Amino acid sequence: MPKASVIVPAYNVAATLGETLRALLDQTYGDFEIVVVDDGSSDRTAAIARGFGDPRIRLVQQPNRGLAGARNSGIHAARGDFIGFCDADDLWRPTKLADHVAHLEAHPHVGLSFSGSELIDEAGHPTGLAQRPRLRGITPAHIFRRNPVGNGSAPVLRRAALEAIAFRPAGEERRDWWFDERFRQSEDIECWLRLALSTDWEIEGIPGLLTRYRVASGGLSAGVERQYASWEAMVAKLTPLAPEFIARHAPAARAYQHRYLARRAISAGDRPQALARLAACFAASPRPLLEEPVKTLSTLAAGLVLATCGPRAIDRLRGLAARRPAPRRPA
Amino acid sequence: MLRIAHLIDDTNPGGVTRYLDFIARDPDMAELAEHRIVPVPRNRPTAVPVEADIVVSHLTISWRGLPGLMLLRARHSGQPLIHVEHSYSAGFAAANVTAPGRFRRLLRCAYALFDRVVAVSQAQAGWLAQRELVAAGALTVIPPCVDLSVFRAMKAPSGPVRSIGAIGRFDRQKGFDLLIRAFRALPDPDLRLRLIGDGPERVVLEALADEDPRIHFTGFTADPAAELSRCDAIAMPSRWEPYGLVAQEARAARRPVLCSAVDGLGDAGRGLSPVADGSISAWISALVHLTGADHALLPATDGLPAELHTLAGWHGLLAQLAPNTAGARPADVAVRSA
Repeated sequence: MPKASVIVPAYNVAATLGETLRALLDQTYGDFEIVVVDDGSSDRTAAIARGFGDPRIRLVQQPNRGLAGARNSGIHAARGDFIGFCDADDLWRPTKLADHVAHLEAHPHVGLSFSGSELIDEAGHPTGLAQRPRLRGITPAHIFRRNPVGNGSAPVLRRAALEAIAFRPAGEERRDWWFDERFRQSEDIECWLRLALSTDWEIEGIPGLLTRYRVASGGLSAGVERQYASWEAMVAKLTPLAPEFIARHAPAARAYQHRYLARRAISAGDRPQALARLAACFAASPRPLLEEPVKTLSTLAAGLVLATCGPRAIDRLRGLAARRPAPRRPA
Repeated sequence: MLRIAHLIDDTNPGGVTRYLDFIARDPDMAELAEHRIVPVPRNRPTAVPVEADIVVSHLTISWRGLPGLMLLRARHSGQPLIHVEHSYSAGFAAANVTAPGRFRRLLRCAYALFDRVVAVSQAQAGWLAQRELVAAGALTVIPPCVDLSVFRAMKAPSGPVRSIGAIGRFDRQKGFDLLIRAFRALPDPDLRLRLIGDGPERVVLEALADEDPRIHFTGFTADPAAELSRCDAIAMPSRWEPYGLVAQEARAARRPVLCSAVDGLGDAGRGLSPVADGSISAWISALVHLTGADHALLPATDGLPAELHTLAGWHGLLAQLAPNTAGARPADVAVRSA
């Protein structure tokens, strides 16, 4: 039995899967398996996974169930005591698995170990940007507001921690759920926040940018409304678990969520959406302004530039500062 | 005869008090040892002089109580000291603890003063062991028990489930807010929800019930058995529950128990029906299933009367700590019938 399993949900990722798997096979940690979950791909995804011919790679195939459903099938198939996730277009640094396993083994109260991420572009080049979240002393309130775990390729979990949040909804005959498959977005934050609120497993980070997280340039704002709706659905779902907690922290968390979506809308050049999100952010809570004034004010300034000078000015500003593409999912 | 002093600092009506009643009155427990229940002031367990061969703490551990526990250890340096953990569990820590490192240090310090720590459920024991709170070899599981005769004598419910009961203190722990929200989503006008108890959340719960005529607040009762007999099923949507005696009573009365899957309520072999996750939608579908199902669909228990687990647990522990003086042999315990 391998000590660790890395789950790679894969849906039509023939273009990037090979690079992802090569990075995983290069891990310095010796005792692990890779579970590739082909989530009903219509391209060569499965063939690429098979083509490696490496006994450490196992392929699970299923009709499309979405990202949460693919991760769940991967957890179900995984045999390791430690379970990590790497989306099929992201890359792990060679020591990532070894570092997280060492962290979890040394700290028996930690259920989820994560690290920061370097953002790369479609060609795999560094964008100069990174997610450098808070690593220690993380409370459920931190998860709710800022999601320090960051992205779906950052965490490695202890199997026991996953088992503590396993459930089987009515109508599911085949296996448990860990991620809630009714969410097509916000499935990560729903899972981490549920772990934080309903178990005493701690979430803790380790230093280093151990994930190389790919972000699409351009970016679409069409999904902003839907993404916000799924975030609110997540809040509504988890409220009964801890009503006082949600009541206390939802305004600030909502403000951060609006700010994040405003940044996405700005990247996409969607003027009305950007202004609406900025207004909603400041209406929800002053906390982003007080806690992260630089980022909040620069978002506001970018929104105003977009409103007065149009998207070209934003592109030019972005070109001056750094290449700043829109993240795919909440950061 | 082996003399055991059971120290208790919370004599409010509740699970611990009723468990100690069982320990003091059950004839088979009396075969094992002479049990004396000793109420002590909070944080000062040595304030009452105790003559005993073994001292069992049913106290609530806190930083403020730690010096008292140290004095207790010093006072009884020659006798085995046992702690039964009634309060803390993974679910408790998740719902209440804001400084987890400090909390773990408290428990490690306190448990280190005892020769044995008794967990009340497998789930709680798993948590104590995995978080390295109790030294390996010092941990034992003994599920608590109460006098179940009145519950066993109760007529088994028949027909579809119409009346669902929830018994306990109206406190955030019990999660009755969640139950009321889920119940109100059921359209059937013939269903009843009986909330049996009282406590600080009463106003909140009444507001949630919003005068739904199907929801009854019965108030506090000293006779939970009488109230249970009016219910076809019991719901325990607790946010944490190291063991959950109400579930044991309901199962003895052959009532199905819908519960959250936390702590001791998730233990296998108890014949409970844990609800998938803590969401309203999961509770709604579980309630729909319950009220549409026949009683024959209940999950099975391990078949042994609950008292046997408790007796065998104490017998095993006492045999280790005082091998020459412990009473009944395992065979004597095993022949006991329900």
